[in-house]
Amino acid sequence: MFKPYTLQSRLCIAGALVLMLALPLITSDPYIMHVMVLVMIFGIFASAWNLVTGFAGLKTFGHHAFFGLGAYGSALLSMNLAISPWITLWLGGLIAAGAGFFIGTPILRIRSMAHVAIVTLGFAEIVRICIANFSSVTRGEMGLWGIPQFEGFTLPFAGPITFSPADKVSFYYLSLVLLLLMLGVIVCLMRSKTGLAMLAMRDGEDAAESLGVNLTRMKLMVFGLSAFIVGIAGAFYAHYLSILTPASVVGLDLMISIIAMVLVGGLGTFTGPLVGALVLTVLIEAMRDLESYRMLGYGLLIVLIVMYLPKGLVTLRERCFPRPQE
Amino acid sequence: MANVASAPLLQVDAITMIFGGIVAIDNLSLDVKQGQILALMGPNGAGKTTTFHVIAGVHKPTLGCILFQGQDITALRPDARCRAGVARTFQITQPFEQLSVAENIMVGARPYHSSMAELRKASEAYAHKVGLGDKLNTLAKGLSTGQRKRLELARAMATRPKLLLMDEVTGGVDMKSIPGLIDLVKTLRADGLTIVLIEHNMRVINELADEAVFMNRGARMVSGTPHEVATNPAVVELYLGESADHGH
Repeated sequence: MFKPYTLQSRLCIAGALVLMLALPLITSDPYIMHVMVLVMIFGIFASAWNLVTGFAGLKTFGHHAFFGLGAYGSALLSMNLAISPWITLWLGGLIAAGAGFFIGTPILRIRSMAHVAIVTLGFAEIVRICIANFSSVTRGEMGLWGIPQFEGFTLPFAGPITFSPADKVSFYYLSLVLLLLMLGVIVCLMRSKTGLAMLAMRDGEDAAESLGVNLTRMKLMVFGLSAFIVGIAGAFYAHYLSILTPASVVGLDLMISIIAMVLVGGLGTFTGPLVGALVLTVLIEAMRDLESYRMLGYGLLIVLIVMYLPKGLVTLRERCFPRPQE
Repeated sequence: MANVASAPLLQVDAITMIFGGIVAIDNLSLDVKQGQILALMGPNGAGKTTTFHVIAGVHKPTLGCILFQGQDITALRPDARCRAGVARTFQITQPFEQLSVAENIMVGARPYHSSMAELRKASEAYAHKVGLGDKLNTLAKGLSTGQRKRLELARAMATRPKLLLMDEVTGGVDMKSIPGLIDLVKTLRADGLTIVLIEHNMRVINELADEAVFMNRGARMVSGTPHEVATNPAVVELYLGESADHGH
């Protein structure tokens, strides 16, 4: 992780980037664009969860709380205070980060990871129940609709850019920019000395602490940052779909599919969460024809991948073409 | 200079450690002078490792305090004690298993290098020092017990400590490797490091320690030179015949 990029990895990154940038030129089919926007939203979410669980070793099952807080926070601010979604997007992230610090504080004292999972899961349930019941503000289970879209702007050389349900391409590029931005933050952090200290904390808290790693500060930082990134993803989701319900953004099944994406792709790797988000989101769409058998097939595939590639799809290449040990 | 030599680097001042009714350390005091190697000896359960935990900040003592360079550090967390200059190794090694040998050492050396390239270079030097120069890119989970002990030593050294706590560095290490470890500790002392070690191997204690403290049931039973301690009738009696053979 701390080695310089090889030529091969640089080429892979460049290739993937070109493909992502060029995709709307190949097809601007609204359905495909919609699926790809979801892939990128889930990609951001999965990467942020992977930051806390895969890199920092804190097994949290309550990150959907931050997704919901970002989504509802940004939506309500833009609806009630008439603030531009371009600004509330970041405010939604900050609200989620605030909640991340709030829940991070009690977690610091818990050494047992099973208890961390339960506490965070409980916190997310509290958030969901609050959103469902403060119906005077959130409209509860009826759902919050009429969330403002991003305002259009004019890009030099490209002309006016508009964001409307009919034109998914601009959402595609916006979500791609957000994904690259958030991923850039995570990669820079993890390749720094702080990232090194974080991995040390994951592998042995006592040893890391004896080598000068401030566990309290590290856990709070990683929790806050991860919550912020998930909050941004949630806020974008709110302004993209324009409608929110407590179950759709703070439901446990959302968290479970994110966990599945990271495990299928590869926990504790940069590309794993992205690969997982792509594969599982596309897969579930591709199996729509199977109707009620869809979840059966989906579950079976997850079981097979976890059984035969326990470290995720990103290890597929090494599995097929094993390289000699250094 | 005379001032430094006379004031102890570490003062363990009348600490008592009680865990739910069990007295693990009973009113123990230790003075460790600058440049000294002090050995803690005693049977299993005597409170040696607990003493290390208290000095390193893992446990706060029920009573008493820890002075380091004349400062009371009793309230500091382990990471703050590391920054103050106290480093340690663990009895049961705790390598960062998913990190390579070089990366493990880099964790300790973080504060002293701004770029990752410099940090790696410095860490590789420590790896060479402890004889892990050919394992730089090996993941720590693939190391043998002896190699893990060396890795912990390198990691602790990389924090540039003033005081090093070594918990059974020769435990589980094959006999052939022990002379190398002894030489390594000698070079550390020559560099001015002060060391407290927990050790069962009498040969290692005789070669290294200036002073030995024999603990039993959480308290100091006997202290003096390693030879004095090993030949003390009370110590010999505690170990029955077995330890008397070791002493000679």
